[in-house]
Amino acid sequence: MSSLTKIPAGVQYFFDDEVKLRRYVERRAMEVFAGWSYDEILLPMFDYHDLFARGMGEEKAERTYRFVDRDGALLALRPELTSLVARTVATRFKNKQRPLRICYSGEVFRYDEPTEKSAREFHQLGVEHIGQPVIVADIEILLIAAEVLTMLGLGDFRIALSHVDFFNGVVDYLKLDSAGRAQLRELIDRRNSLALSEFLTRVASHVEESRRQGFCRLTQIAGKDDAIAQAREILINERSRAAVEQIAEIYATLAGLGLKENFDIDLGDAGGLEYYTGLTFKVYVPEWGVELGSGGRYDNLIGNFGAPEPAIGFSFALDGLAGAISRRIPESNWRSAEATQNVKSDGDLVRIFDEARKLRVRDKKVKICEQ
Amino acid sequence: MSSNDIKPGHKLTIALSKGRLQDDAIALFARAGIIVAESELNSRKLLLNSTDGRFSFVFVKPADVPTYVEYGVADVGVCGRDVLLESQAGVHEPLDLGIGRCRIAVAGKREVVGQDYNLLATVRVATKYPRITTEYFHTKGVPIEVVSLSGSVELAPLLGLSDRIVDLVETGRTLNENGLEVIDVITESTARLIVNRASFHLKRVEVGALIADLTEILKP
Repeated sequence: MSSLTKIPAGVQYFFDDEVKLRRYVERRAMEVFAGWSYDEILLPMFDYHDLFARGMGEEKAERTYRFVDRDGALLALRPELTSLVARTVATRFKNKQRPLRICYSGEVFRYDEPTEKSAREFHQLGVEHIGQPVIVADIEILLIAAEVLTMLGLGDFRIALSHVDFFNGVVDYLKLDSAGRAQLRELIDRRNSLALSEFLTRVASHVEESRRQGFCRLTQIAGKDDAIAQAREILINERSRAAVEQIAEIYATLAGLGLKENFDIDLGDAGGLEYYTGLTFKVYVPEWGVELGSGGRYDNLIGNFGAPEPAIGFSFALDGLAGAISRRIPESNWRSAEATQNVKSDGDLVRIFDEARKLRVRDKKVKICEQ
Repeated sequence: MSSNDIKPGHKLTIALSKGRLQDDAIALFARAGIIVAESELNSRKLLLNSTDGRFSFVFVKPADVPTYVEYGVADVGVCGRDVLLESQAGVHEPLDLGIGRCRIAVAGKREVVGQDYNLLATVRVATKYPRITTEYFHTKGVPIEVVSLSGSVELAPLLGLSDRIVDLVETGRTLNENGLEVIDVITESTARLIVNRASFHLKRVEVGALIADLTEILKP
């Protein structure tokens, strides 16, 4: 060890108020999950590396902290919790009645390049809903996310809804190879419509000009009913079309519940494509520059561990929630207000500890004070 | 509209690079109707407001613009593609603003121009762009040692600190006057409008209007 003051990059220590806030956020979120009949699962800190590679793909599993078991098997600290849930569901819960509603709270560990500023250890709060196809479960999941945010005093949140087939349908339509697909994805993700237009002129000259222009507009389109109207106009391929109708139905339901303000449709989101199969969403709150949570439908994941079945889930970053809350919500909301009773020491050890224990029996908070 | 009428949730903060791009960027925004008073610009303040109060500007070092935007303390920013490539920041990049056009190039002393790299020896390269440099030489299969500098990179080959440099080249004059020449152009760079991912949704109307206004004035 080079120095006792040095802390490895990306790890965190918390104490006192920071802990109280985090515990408060965790407790409120888990109460909401339980309120929607999600049962908590406790998962191991590490498992076989192969399990994560099977779940999230080799590339993501590369970012795990790995070590070798006594028998030589390769283990990894959990980089996410969904793969662990999926494997459990496909094996040990094979015969349990569907749908399954599972929630969790725990740290995950991911190795990032040392130059990158993101944490390597972070706490996730999430739910998985397994065995129910679109769209009832999708709406349920969105409402749970919304309730957690409202409950925590972040009622002005914005959840951006997207669907992987907005993108996949366009790739099919343009008949792109995998390199073209990767490039298109990068351009859409950066919302770079000029470069996208040049790219499409190059690779999709067989597609008529007006249609190409439409695809370029996709990167900029986010909004409410107007976004759906524009999506219907631009996305004429069958695969994207079905996705648009699915999102339109979800959105109409949310609107019917009076949540229109909080939800947006984003046609230019191309994240998480190797993993998600349907609805995807990201959670934002004002004055917090990065997403606080994300989720989506992943109907192919559980099939990697057994019989395929539909599933959807999301997770919040506890650090993000705590950070956003500490910026704007009075501490009194999450700090316990209970008064401490000081017990003064006068040399008579039996007397003072007797007094302290009597207070403890009445569940009072005590503090032994040296004179 | 006075600045008091703008709710904080609707005001856009724009991060601008100090130096090379600053004047061009301010002129571009002015053409789009986003004007900063002359008296403000001449002050030494780092945080300025547009006359209509819809925007505030922060002036930061070029390499810091993507950081301010990625973390959301600025909603949008203007920075060179060179800086973006180097930072790998997770931001949206909706517009090429066409200003600050330059090249990111490998350069060296005149006598090394045209010389092949000895594929077995490590080439020492001085640069402000370690990531771009490493990636370029890796694709060429040339082993390198990167010497990270934060300015006056042209000095490095003259003093024997490095064999080559990777740097921005605008007119080529600085290179020329120091006896250096461009060996290879890695990529072109122009200034980009970048947008924070959360602001894109939370201030969708304001960000959308800004992109539309700038797109309009950029039309040839």
